Amino acid sequence: MRMSSLILQTAVRFILPLTFLYAAYAALKGHNGPGGGFIAGLIASVGFCTYRMSYGDRAFHRLLPVHPRWLVFVGLGLAGAVASLPLLFGQPLLRSASTTLHLGGSEVHLVSSMAFDLGLLLVVVGVAVGMISRLGEELDR
Amino acid sequence: MTTVLAICVAVLVTVSVYLMLSRELKSVAMGVFALGHGANLSIIAMSGSPVLADGGLRNPPILGVADLVDPLPQALILTAIVINFAVMGFLLTLLIVTARRTGTINVDELATEDRPDGGRAGGDR
Amino acid sequence: MVTASPYLVLVAVGAPALAGLATMLLPDARKLTRLSLATAGPVASVVLVAIHLGRNGVSPADTPTGTIPWVPSLNLDISFLVDGLGSFFALLIAGMGVIVVPYARAYFGHDAASLARFFPTLGFFTSAMLGVVLADHLLLTVLFWEMTSVSSFLLIGWDRDDADAGKRAMQAFFTTGLGGLALLGGILLFGGHTGIWRWSRLMAEAATISHDGTVVAAFVLMFVGAATKSAQWPLHDWLPGAMKAPTPVSAYLHSATMVKAGVFLLGRMLPAFGALALWLPLLVSIGAVTMLLGAVLALSQDNLKRMFAYTTVSHLGLLVAMYGLGGASTAEGVGTIHWDLTQIASHALYKAPLFLVVGALAHLVGSTRVAQLHGLWNRPGAGTKAAAAVLLLSGYALAGGPGTVSFIAKELFFAATDHATAAHPLLAVVGVMAIAAAACNVAIFVRLAATVFGLRSGAGDASETPDATHREPDSWSFMLWAPAAALIALQYLGGLVPTLWNRTFSGIEANVHDEAFADGLPWAWEPFLHPGMPLLMSMVAIGAGTALGFSRWMRGDLVDVHARIWPATYRGILRGGHRLFHSLQTGHLRHYLAVVFSVLTLCIGWAAWADPAMLRPPAGMDPFEYPAGLLLGAVVCAAAIALPMVTERVVRVLVLGASGFAVVGLYLVYQAPDLALTQLMFEIISVILFLLVLRLLPRPDHRPRIRVLPRLALASVVGISIGWMTLLAGHAVDNRAEDAPTLGKFFEAHSLEGSEMTDGRGGEGRNVVNVILVDFRGFDTLGEITVLATAVLGVWSMLPGRRRHREEEDLAVDTGQGAQP
Repeated sequence: MRMSSLILQTAVRFILPLTFLYAAYAALKGHNGPGGGFIAGLIASVGFCTYRMSYGDRAFHRLLPVHPRWLVFVGLGLAGAVASLPLLFGQPLLRSASTTLHLGGSEVHLVSSMAFDLGLLLVVVGVAVGMISRLGEELDR
Repeated sequence: MTTVLAICVAVLVTVSVYLMLSRELKSVAMGVFALGHGANLSIIAMSGSPVLADGGLRNPPILGVADLVDPLPQALILTAIVINFAVMGFLLTLLIVTARRTGTINVDELATEDRPDGGRAGGDR
Repeated sequence: MVTASPYLVLVAVGAPALAGLATMLLPDARKLTRLSLATAGPVASVVLVAIHLGRNGVSPADTPTGTIPWVPSLNLDISFLVDGLGSFFALLIAGMGVIVVPYARAYFGHDAASLARFFPTLGFFTSAMLGVVLADHLLLTVLFWEMTSVSSFLLIGWDRDDADAGKRAMQAFFTTGLGGLALLGGILLFGGHTGIWRWSRLMAEAATISHDGTVVAAFVLMFVGAATKSAQWPLHDWLPGAMKAPTPVSAYLHSATMVKAGVFLLGRMLPAFGALALWLPLLVSIGAVTMLLGAVLALSQDNLKRMFAYTTVSHLGLLVAMYGLGGASTAEGVGTIHWDLTQIASHALYKAPLFLVVGALAHLVGSTRVAQLHGLWNRPGAGTKAAAAVLLLSGYALAGGPGTVSFIAKELFFAATDHATAAHPLLAVVGVMAIAAAACNVAIFVRLAATVFGLRSGAGDASETPDATHREPDSWSFMLWAPAAALIALQYLGGLVPTLWNRTFSGIEANVHDEAFADGLPWAWEPFLHPGMPLLMSMVAIGAGTALGFSRWMRGDLVDVHARIWPATYRGILRGGHRLFHSLQTGHLRHYLAVVFSVLTLCIGWAAWADPAMLRPPAGMDPFEYPAGLLLGAVVCAAAIALPMVTERVVRVLVLGASGFAVVGLYLVYQAPDLALTQLMFEIISVILFLLVLRLLPRPDHRPRIRVLPRLALASVVGISIGWMTLLAGHAVDNRAEDAPTLGKFFEAHSLEGSEMTDGRGGEGRNVVNVILVDFRGFDTLGEITVLATAVLGVWSMLPGRRRHREEEDLAVDTGQGAQP
């Protein structure tokens, strides 16, 4: 299904990079300012969805060549791995890395929680895109 | 502000329950959607009114300044919104599948669809 | 005193089941190996119990064996009570098991498949029954009790092709299972009230148990359990019905052992509850009615199995009445129960042979009906004559003729009623009923004997088609009557030469109050040397019974009205369930929702009723403190109210979106930038989703709306209650002290740096909301994304997608072509 309008297509062409930029910003800044994995994921999803609506299925496949299920699986796996990694060191589930590894300060800690956030982002994008594109396919039939 | 929020919650919940009791599954879905809003507003009311005594507002829960609002309800709602989103997609898909399989999204017609006795006992009454 | 080891007893209990399971490993054809293995189980039980008794002696009723921990958190462990009652029953059960196993081999003959199925079930039952009589923990007893019900169900419904057998199995299971539930309820009530969970403690502290209402209720419930298991009036009908089972089962479960579980339970309860005012009237009245009813119904039966089933009912009634009389005492303070175990053993020793020989006759003569036995004595065949002899000898014991243990046992019961009557004159009625029941038993024997010797032509036509399959004798045929002969021999041995019997039983009989029997059973002629009331009652019974036997009275089928209880109950349950199901499960979504919301409001209303302060408006209500917020609230409300009113579906979605965007504004007022952003994105995506989906759904039909007013009323009540709760809770937060400790402040304090209190979590983040999500409550978040993934998997599986759809079409085309010639 496409809402083939030239104005929409042109607008989306500009909006898409903006949403991705903003999503990246929100994801990076999330721990210290407004933002975070969920929000970034939803912002990116909005970008994907508007693109899908205006350009159609085929163009969308060129933009996102993988099936969204891989986003979901990778995201879940990443978050689960980050969460359960401390178990290997005899620490409780989900303990932040900086307090477990003693590798010096905030750098390590940031990596740990950001990986978790990245997992959330991937899952949210995968779910949103997966639902919208599957429903869109239904409409095309 | 709490009073305003309480009125909003009352109205949203009333409307959503009214919609959920209706005959069409589309309205039911919208009712579920509105109920989510009502519940979220009800939770955010638990962080207390953000309006200070001098008429100004408190600050968002980002460390560095004083007078922060309670962060816990916000964290809960953030989770709730995202879950709401998943539930929404699932519910709408369910609607499509229902409509495709049975040809109707009317609650009363659906009631006679999947009964073990084909709805005869329901028809007797 | 050193406590005995429980392991020997545990193995004794488990051995039959293990042996039964082991037989399943053998191929069908290995009949002899199978038989030896199955026999080894109960034999091991007998030997092990005997070894235990040899080592530790018969323990007093308040001394259990040591314990094996089982479920320590529930305070449930495995320990056994091998007192006189328990060890007697254990030996009876295991001993009968030893006899029944080879008999079953002869009964099933060449039917190897049935044998293969039979032994594991029988072993399961034997173990369960041993557990019932030996367990010390009350709940362990219940557990084994239910297992006996299950095995009885399996064995009654043995014939899978017989619909009636299935129904009868269901009836038995339902009745005894109901009783089991009552027993469980009684035990829970009693244990919770008194803290006593063991039979041994129950015996030890019997005198200290108060007789308050709870204890009486617990006793009544436990009695219901015992009464259903022992087929007491008015729920006795399952036992005659249980005769659908193969004859070995009838002999073992439904005459000698399982139905005595209720009697056993009463024996266990007697020391503790015997002093209750209710004990005597309840047990004696139910028992006496059952005793007389069973005897009268037995006399009028034509089918041998049913006849003996009713005599079993009758005798179980006698046993219950006997324990009931145990609650009374004579004017001199002497208890009125004597040699109760002998009474029970006596019944097992003549009733089991009767059933066993019925099974033998079914194969030898091809019938289980009295009429078909006409002139049995004069028919050819060694087995036939032996079976007839065993039948008559057992029947003589059934009648309680002099020279048998049964005669003495009947004397004992008559003596008990006689003694009890001295203290409670009303109990004379029980004595009369006992005489009448005994007379019926005598009459049964007289009629059997007359038929077997061909003295009178049977009531039915002897040339009728046989109802059981006649089988050619094989090498195992003697086992059809030999076990019965062995058992009935014990009756006469004990009756004529009681020395051995007394040696065995004097160690385990706990209830010996009458000094006349202090030295054990008398020699056969002794009662006649000291004539008294009991002997007179016996003579009256024998005389009246003989006359009744030869008379024309009470021939032909008397209908038991109680047989109607079960079918009516069963139909009622099915119909009621059907009706209830259809009144609750209407299939209408809005009915379910209405129930859910009504219950919700009722709960809130209940809370308000319990705490009327909830109805008072909170202090500090000020809707105008922040005008911008008020405006946003007005937009939310307006959009929400407009939602049900607009009918154009695209407009509806937009209105829904508008209300959502106003909510975003409210989040901003509440200083929640994260929420506002998330909600904004969520609104955009969901409006897209809704618009997509609406195009896929059918157009609305324009039928009249369902009634608005009730809907609106319920919706308003729910909405106003939830709104009111929000108002109360929100203002409670507003009105609390500024420095009140909250979880939010705790998270704020540990957001930058985790501590011991947060288990090392948290830190390095200024956005507290995000730190809560990924650190403090990270596990929740992990669960949440799992939910997301599950939801999308659900969507993908419900909507197959384009590629899959195309594949399916291709497949359909392919198979379509393949089907064409």
